[in-house]
Amino acid sequence: MDVETWKSQLKKGAAELAVLALLDGGARSGIGLLDALQMRPEIGLSDGSIYPLLNRLEREGRVAGRWETPAGGGRGQKHYALTADGRTALKSMRTAWIGFRDDLTMIVGERK
Amino acid sequence: MSDAAKIDDYVRGLTRALRALPDREEIIAEIRAHLDHRAGEGKLGEAITALGPPDACARSFIEEMKVQSAFADGGPAKTFGALLALASQRVTAATGLFFSGIFFVMAAAFVFVGFYEMVAPETVGMWSDPATGSFFFGAMDDPTLPSAHELLGPWMIPVSGVLAVVSFVIGQKLSRFFIRLMMRRKPLLAI
Repeated sequence: MDVETWKSQLKKGAAELAVLALLDGGARSGIGLLDALQMRPEIGLSDGSIYPLLNRLEREGRVAGRWETPAGGGRGQKHYALTADGRTALKSMRTAWIGFRDDLTMIVGERK
Repeated sequence: MSDAAKIDDYVRGLTRALRALPDREEIIAEIRAHLDHRAGEGKLGEAITALGPPDACARSFIEEMKVQSAFADGGPAKTFGALLALASQRVTAATGLFFSGIFFVMAAAFVFVGFYEMVAPETVGMWSDPATGSFFFGAMDDPTLPSAHELLGPWMIPVSGVLAVVSFVIGQKLSRFFIRLMMRRKPLLAI
């Protein structure tokens, strides 16, 4: 397996956690999430991957989407907020992630 | 081409590619809103490149939806349907479709044999022919082979029933296995 494939696998689960964690701070649109992640390219979420992910999270009941139209008119955007199930999932995922990160860091170290 | 025309063009392609999905309007509206927003920032070209061609963008939704729904439901119709729908795009799905399909067809054949035993018992059975060492289970037009013995008699009905259930369960387990495999191997799209 080459490094790019490995990185892709690594990012697969992390992207979901990143989105849920960002939504924990308040409802955001797909654009809002992408803008928040713009400075974090290693998370690996792009315009092409964020909407299928949000669509799945909504179908799983972890987030709830709502269309909001700007006060001045114009085309609205769908904003997503965490549901109670999403909050529970985030809590479990956060705990699992911290344990995983700590254990792996102990093995791999932090030197680049 | 103006930004509005480019957006219309992309959305038209996406609408066509998503025609199989019942709730596509929501997805299309969201992608259009995304493109409108990016056009307002002067980044429409980058946004279209990042989304990929309409077919690829649609495929990422369809795959995510079918695989997820099959996994959540777990029923044989959903899992087999997902493999069927994705077989043309994913080798794993095509392989799963082939192997689970064999067992579903076998299950159907055993059900047929069980029913046929009730209608025409003389033509249905499990024959063994010591002379040739051959063995046959099922229905045949001419079962009067001189050296062949029918072994099961009326037991063909419960035996066929059990074999049908076993084949069906194996087919279902295989479908689920390949759906799980697809979920594990599915790369995050458009990274």
